[in-house]
Amino acid sequence: MNFSSKLIEEAVNAFASLPSIGKKTALRLVLHLINQDKEVTGQFAEAIVKMREHIKHCEICHNISDLAVCEICSDARRDRSVVCVVEGIRDVMAIEDTSQFRGLYHVLGGVISPIEGIGPSDLYIDALMQRIQKGEIKEVIMAISPTIEGDTTIFYLSKKLKDMKVKVSTIARGVSFGGELEYADELTLGRSIVARVPYRINE
Amino acid sequence: MTTKIINQKKSLFLNLEKLILTNFKNYTSERVNFSPTLNAIVGKNGMGKTNLLDAIYYLCMSKSNFSGNDRNVVQKTHDFFRLEGQFKRKEKKEKIVVKVIPGKQKIIERNGTAYSKLADHIGLFPVVIIAPDDTSLVTEGSEARRRFLDNTLSQSDPNYLTQLMRYNKVIRQRNAALKNMAIQHRFNATLIKTYDQQLLEPAALIFEKRKSFLEKIDPIFNEFYQKIAAHQETVQFNYKSKLIENSLEELLEENLEKDRILQRTTAGIHKDDLAFHLDNSPLKQFASQGQIKSFVLALKLAQFDFLKKIKNTSPILLLDDIFDKLDSSRVKQLLDLLLKNDFGQIFITDTHETRVEEIVKDLKIGYKKMEIKDGQCID
Ligand SMILES: [Zn+2]
Repeated sequence: MNFSSKLIEEAVNAFASLPSIGKKTALRLVLHLINQDKEVTGQFAEAIVKMREHIKHCEICHNISDLAVCEICSDARRDRSVVCVVEGIRDVMAIEDTSQFRGLYHVLGGVISPIEGIGPSDLYIDALMQRIQKGEIKEVIMAISPTIEGDTTIFYLSKKLKDMKVKVSTIARGVSFGGELEYADELTLGRSIVARVPYRINE
Repeated sequence: MTTKIINQKKSLFLNLEKLILTNFKNYTSERVNFSPTLNAIVGKNGMGKTNLLDAIYYLCMSKSNFSGNDRNVVQKTHDFFRLEGQFKRKEKKEKIVVKVIPGKQKIIERNGTAYSKLADHIGLFPVVIIAPDDTSLVTEGSEARRRFLDNTLSQSDPNYLTQLMRYNKVIRQRNAALKNMAIQHRFNATLIKTYDQQLLEPAALIFEKRKSFLEKIDPIFNEFYQKIAAHQETVQFNYKSKLIENSLEELLEENLEKDRILQRTTAGIHKDDLAFHLDNSPLKQFASQGQIKSFVLALKLAQFDFLKKIKNTSPILLLDDIFDKLDSSRVKQLLDLLLKNDFGQIFITDTHETRVEEIVKDLKIGYKKMEIKDGQCID
């Protein structure tokens, strides 16, 4: 693509660096912004800079948060005896959308996959153990996608939790996740959290 | 009564009616029609007879029999290839289309719908190929023999392939974990134990399926060998797996120290093997070239027979350069044997223009002869 302006070229390249945005779409967005008031584009840019500057990970559950402790963790009405373990922040959003879960979360930051260089110590597993050791948590629900690596992670965590006084359950397997929790439709996901099943290791 | 039997035979039938090749090996653009019974593909060496069989194999197994890399399948100077097979299966027309851009894309469509998992295609269009390089089953390492087991069982049982892929993935993760732990000097016994337990279920299933398959084909294998071979020596194969004596759990535990040092999993069904014997001596050392050829041929025919019984359909049989293994009179005997029963569709390649024709004439069955010249088919 040939641009008559270096400024436009730079802006187009910036947009095109985002996932699922090609050069054509990027150009359309840039041309759209040119037709806006300067104030509008100023607010737009500011929102992004501010978000990136101030966004944090909750120091308890590792969900994204504006403050040191996220809204869910600091909400007094939530059930502090149940914690739902998920891979990522998008899983938190998907489960929150179902309105079926009133407990707390713990974001692992991925699943165990040594092929990709991710071992247990690269995830927030120790942090979860420390949370549980404090004694308030009575049940751990594993809402992790049913892949081989997801299975490994669930299996590993249950081994770690074996000697702690907590109930371990998984959300019903075979639910049509489409591979990832975030793609599950709200109704199915909500139902499977309510109908969670106790997890047992055959040893 | 007679009508009923004929109907039964009809429903068993699987055959390829038409094949369209685009940029596949030395075929730029070609359409070939086939006979539902016997097809004699003749031509000089290097003209593309084997490539035609490989195209049929590809449509059934979603990969080449001869090349693991699709870059060697696509015609040079082109970046894609396409295969279309118009089949008749269980009295219905079926269209399979393969579209491949090597390294980028591989799509297989069944009746216009692309598979989301290629594994779902395996076993729907059973196929057995008998080729000169089958002797690698005897001469090469254990991997070739496991491939034979996996090829057969993946076609006969979809769950086998699922469990095999699961097992292999967990082994790769376990090996990577062993390697990473060695580099970081930090051993995590719980994680290794997790992988061990994840392996148990798929391993048990794969072991049972392999064992039962080998038990089932044993008698028919001997029968085939006696019919093919010139001599009356006895042949046998044994399943070699450490799981016969120990549970996988014990094996993994016993080998843990070794695994940690070598940074890979040293015991398990991925180390299974077959031992071949001729008159109680190891085949590889004591058999003649002719005996080895007869042995692998009998094994492949036993595979064909096994798939036929289990699928209730005769697999498509691809006989590449069969005269390399047997003389004319034995090929005739073999075809007689295959065709006497409710046979399926057979493809035979030969460099000799009239040899197959002469044999078939005596057998009084329908056939089609086609000549291949430089990637083109002359009917
Ligand atoms: Zn939180």
